[in-house]
Amino acid sequence: MSDDKLLVVRDLTTTFATAGGDLPAVAGVSFDLARNETLGIVGESGSGKTVLSRTIMGLQPRVNTTVTGSSIIDGFEVVGASENEKRTIWGTEVAMVFQDPMTSLNPVMRIGKQIDEALRVRLGMNRKDAKARAIELLELVGIPSPVQRYNAYPGQLSGGMRQRVVIAIALACSPKLLMADEPTTGLDVTIQAQILNLLDELKERLKTSVILVTHDLGVVATRTSRILVMYAGRIVETGTTRDVFYHHRMPYTRALLESSPKVANKSHTRLVTIPGRPPNLLSLSDGCSFAPRCKYATDQCHLVRPELQPSVEPGHTFACWNPLPINAEATLP
Amino acid sequence: MLRYLTKRLMLLVGIVFVISVGSFYLIHLLPGNPATVILGFGATPEAKAILYKQLGLSKPIYLQYFVWLGNILHGNLGVSFISQTTVSSVIRSALPIDGEIIILSQIMAFAAAIPTAMRSARKPDGIIDRVLGATSFTLLSIPPYILIVVLVLFISIKLGVSGTGPSAYVSLGTDWITNLESLSLPAFTLATVSFVVYYRILRSDLIATLQEEFITMARSKGISQRRIMWCHAFRPSSVALLGAASVNIGSLLAAGFVVQYLLQIPGLGYTLILAINESDFLVVQGIVLTVSVLVVAINFFFDFVINMVDPRISRE
Amino acid sequence: MSSFSLEEAELMVEKSEKGEPLGLFFWICVFWIGLNVFGAIFANVLPLPNPLNENFNAINVGPGLHHLFGTDDLGRDIFSRIVYGSRVSITVGIGAILIGFGVGAPLGMLAAYRRGRFDSFLTTIMYVLLAFPAIIATIAVLSFWTPRSLFKIIVVIGVASIPLVYRVIRTATLSVATKDYVIAAKVQGATDRRILMKELLPNIAPIAVSFFLIGVATVITLEGALAFLGLSVNPPTPSWGNMINEARTVLTQNVWLAFFPSLALCLFLIALNFIGDRIRSHFDVTEVKL
Repeated sequence: MSDDKLLVVRDLTTTFATAGGDLPAVAGVSFDLARNETLGIVGESGSGKTVLSRTIMGLQPRVNTTVTGSSIIDGFEVVGASENEKRTIWGTEVAMVFQDPMTSLNPVMRIGKQIDEALRVRLGMNRKDAKARAIELLELVGIPSPVQRYNAYPGQLSGGMRQRVVIAIALACSPKLLMADEPTTGLDVTIQAQILNLLDELKERLKTSVILVTHDLGVVATRTSRILVMYAGRIVETGTTRDVFYHHRMPYTRALLESSPKVANKSHTRLVTIPGRPPNLLSLSDGCSFAPRCKYATDQCHLVRPELQPSVEPGHTFACWNPLPINAEATLP
Repeated sequence: MLRYLTKRLMLLVGIVFVISVGSFYLIHLLPGNPATVILGFGATPEAKAILYKQLGLSKPIYLQYFVWLGNILHGNLGVSFISQTTVSSVIRSALPIDGEIIILSQIMAFAAAIPTAMRSARKPDGIIDRVLGATSFTLLSIPPYILIVVLVLFISIKLGVSGTGPSAYVSLGTDWITNLESLSLPAFTLATVSFVVYYRILRSDLIATLQEEFITMARSKGISQRRIMWCHAFRPSSVALLGAASVNIGSLLAAGFVVQYLLQIPGLGYTLILAINESDFLVVQGIVLTVSVLVVAINFFFDFVINMVDPRISRE
Repeated sequence: MSSFSLEEAELMVEKSEKGEPLGLFFWICVFWIGLNVFGAIFANVLPLPNPLNENFNAINVGPGLHHLFGTDDLGRDIFSRIVYGSRVSITVGIGAILIGFGVGAPLGMLAAYRRGRFDSFLTTIMYVLLAFPAIIATIAVLSFWTPRSLFKIIVVIGVASIPLVYRVIRTATLSVATKDYVIAAKVQGATDRRILMKELLPNIAPIAVSFFLIGVATVITLEGALAFLGLSVNPPTPSWGNMINEARTVLTQNVWLAFFPSLALCLFLIALNFIGDRIRSHFDVTEVKL
C-alpha cells in the first residue's frame, strides 16, 4: 500500500438484521482516498451514503449490524476492530461532522464542555489548557465572542452556530480524515454556503482529507476532486468531479444532475424529477437496482447486475449495461 | 428560570391552601360534636375550653378555619388528649425517624437502580436485561407489607439476626450502629419498592437516549463507554427518574407507615396509627397536615432540581 | 406500584415499550384473573366451608386434602377465606377505579377535545389536587370518617384517583385529537359526539384499559395496606389484607397462614400488572411499524 493513500476501502458491506430480514445498506464498496484529497459521495436519501460514511470509520450501530470487507485508515483496519481499539483512532485520526446540529449536540451539556471533553480525554490536556484550546477552536470556526459562548447550552445557539460547534468538536484533536455527512442539510441556504466555505478553508489550513457526503450535487461541484455516486448501497459511478459532471455514463448520474435546480435555467422551468422511488433494500433483484426507474433499461438490466467498468478517462468507472454515449458534453446541464 | 420558579411558587401556595382546608375539614367528618368525639364523654370543662379555643368551635365554620389556621401558623397544633403533650412535640420526635428511613432507602435504591439500569440499557433484550426485567416486574407486584413480613420471618426469626425484629428500635442518639440495625429491614423494604420503579424508568429512558444522535457523536470523539454512559446519557435520562422519585415520596411515606407499624418503630406512621386506633384526632390531623405539606415541599424542591439537570424544561 | 401509588401506575403506563406480541404468559394471566373473579362471584355457590366457621378441633392444621390450604388459629378454612377475601379486594379495586374512570375519563376526554378555557380551568384544578399526596389523604379521610364501611373505602379511593385518571386520559386524547384524521372528521362536519365516540374513544382505549387494570392492582395493594393500618373492613370479614395482617402475629407458629393469602395477592397483582403492561405495549404501534 503506497503511503499517499490515507484511506483504502475494499468491498465494504454493511448489513442490518431487521424484522423483515437482512438489509444490505452498503454493498461491496471499494475506493481509495489520497492525503489532502476531498472526495464527494452523492446519492439520494436512502442510498446508503450515511451508513457508508459511518462504516468507514467503524461508527455503525453496535447491535444487529454486520460489516465485512476492509476499511483501512492510515494503516488501521477498522473492520473487525473492537470498540476500544477503534476509540484510539476516533477523534485523532478520523472525525465526523454530523448531519443535524439540532440533535447531534448533547442538549444538557455546555458546548465548551463538549469540546473540552475530547481534548482532555484523548489528548490528556488539563482543564485550563483544554478550555483555552476550546475557545481557540470556537474562534477558528467563526463563533463570535467564544469566551461567552463557551458556557452556552446548545439550545441557546442558532442552527448555523451549532453546526460550527459540531465542526469545532470534530477538529478538536486534529484528525487526518474528516467525514462530513450532509453538513449543511439542516441549515438555511445562506448559512449553507458559509459552513461549506468554512470547511474548505479549514481543510486547506489544517491539511485534512475530507469526505463530503451529500445529496446535493451543487455542494460537491466546486469543492471535491473526485465523486462517488451511490445508489441502493452500491457505487454506480466514480470519477473526477469533472468527469462525473461532464462525461457521466450512468443514467442515474444524469438523472441526479438533471434534478438539481440550476441558476442558468429560465424562471419557471419545470424541475426534472427521477420517476419512481428508491428500491426496497429488503427485496432487491439480481439485476441493476436502478433498472425499474431507468428509461434505457433492457431485459439484461433486470436480470444481471452490471459491475463497475472503466470508461475512457483514467479513474472513471461506471456500472451500466446501456451507458450513455461517450461524448455527452453537448447535453450538459 | 425565575419566571418558571415564581409560577411554581404560586402554585405551591395554592396547594398548601387546599391542604390546609382539607386537613381542617377532617375534624368535621367526625360524627357528632367534634369536642365530644375528640375528648370523649368524661371530658373536663377545662379540657373542653382548651379545645374550643384551639378549634374555634363556638364560631361559624369559616371563622373556625381562620382560628385554627392562626393557631397552626403559630406552631400550635393542639394537645394530644391521650398523652397530654403538644401535637407539635409528638411530631418533632417522630419525624426524624421517617426521614432517616427514607434517606437510607433512597440511597440504597439509587445505588442499586443506576448501575443495573445502565447494565440493562447497554444490551437491551440481552440475558442480563431479561433477568433484571422479570425480577423487577415480579417485585413490582409484591406489596411492601408482604415484603417486610417475609424479611422479618427470614432474617430476624429464622436467621436470628439480632436487633432487626419488631420492637428493636434504638434511637440514633443512643447508639448509631444499633439504630442502623433496627432500621435496616424497613429501609431495605422501601429501597426495594423504589428500586423497581427507578430501575424500570431509568432503563427505558437510557435506551431511548442511547439511540440519540449526540451519543453517536460522543462515540465518535473516542471517549470510553463508561464516560458516554455517565457524562452523556445519564443526565438527559435522569429527568423522568427524578420525577419518579418526587412522585414516589408520598407513597414511600405511606409504605413507611405500614412498615413502621409492623416493627413498632416510633416514627410518624406508628404514631399516626396508634392515634387513629385511640381516636386521638388532633394528633392525626397534625400528622396529616405536616406530612402533606412536607410532600408538596419536597416535590417543589425536586422540580427545582430537575430544572437544574435539564435546562430545556424551564425554557419551554 | 408495590408502594401502592396510582402515580406510579401512571408512570408505568407511560414508560412501557411498544409493539410487543401478547405471548402465552399473557393468556395464562388472563385465565388466572378470570378464575379469581369467578371464585369471587360464585363463592356462595361453590362447595366451600363457611369462612367464618370456627372449628376448635382443627386449629392451625397444615395444608392437606381436608383443608386445602390448612386452617387458622380459630380453625377456619384458609382456602375458603381466601376465596371470600378476594371479594373484598376485587370489589374495592374495581369499584374505586370505576368511580375514578366514571368521572375522570369523560372529563379528560372532553378537556382534551374542547381545549380552551374549559381545559385549562379543569387541568389547573386537577393539577392542584394531584399535588396533594392522595395516599395520605385517603388514610386521613378514612380515619376520621367513621364508622368505616366497604362503601366508604371505595368512595374515598375512587375520588382520590379521579385527578390521575383525568390526566392519563387527557394526555392520551390530546395525542389523538391533533391527528389529521380527527381534524378531517371535524372539517367534514361530524358531530362532537360522533368524533368522541368513533374517532377518539377507540384510539385511547388500549391506554385506558391498561391504566384501568394497573389501577385496579394498585387499589388492591392499597386496600391491603389499609387493612394493616386497621382502616379497611372489620374482622372477621376476610380480605386478603386483613388475613395477612392477622397471620403476622402468629407467624412463628403457622407460616401457612400468612403464606397463602400473600401468594394469592401477589399472583393476582402480577397477572393484572402483566396484562395491563402487555395490552399497552401490544396495541400501541404508532411508533414501531414505520
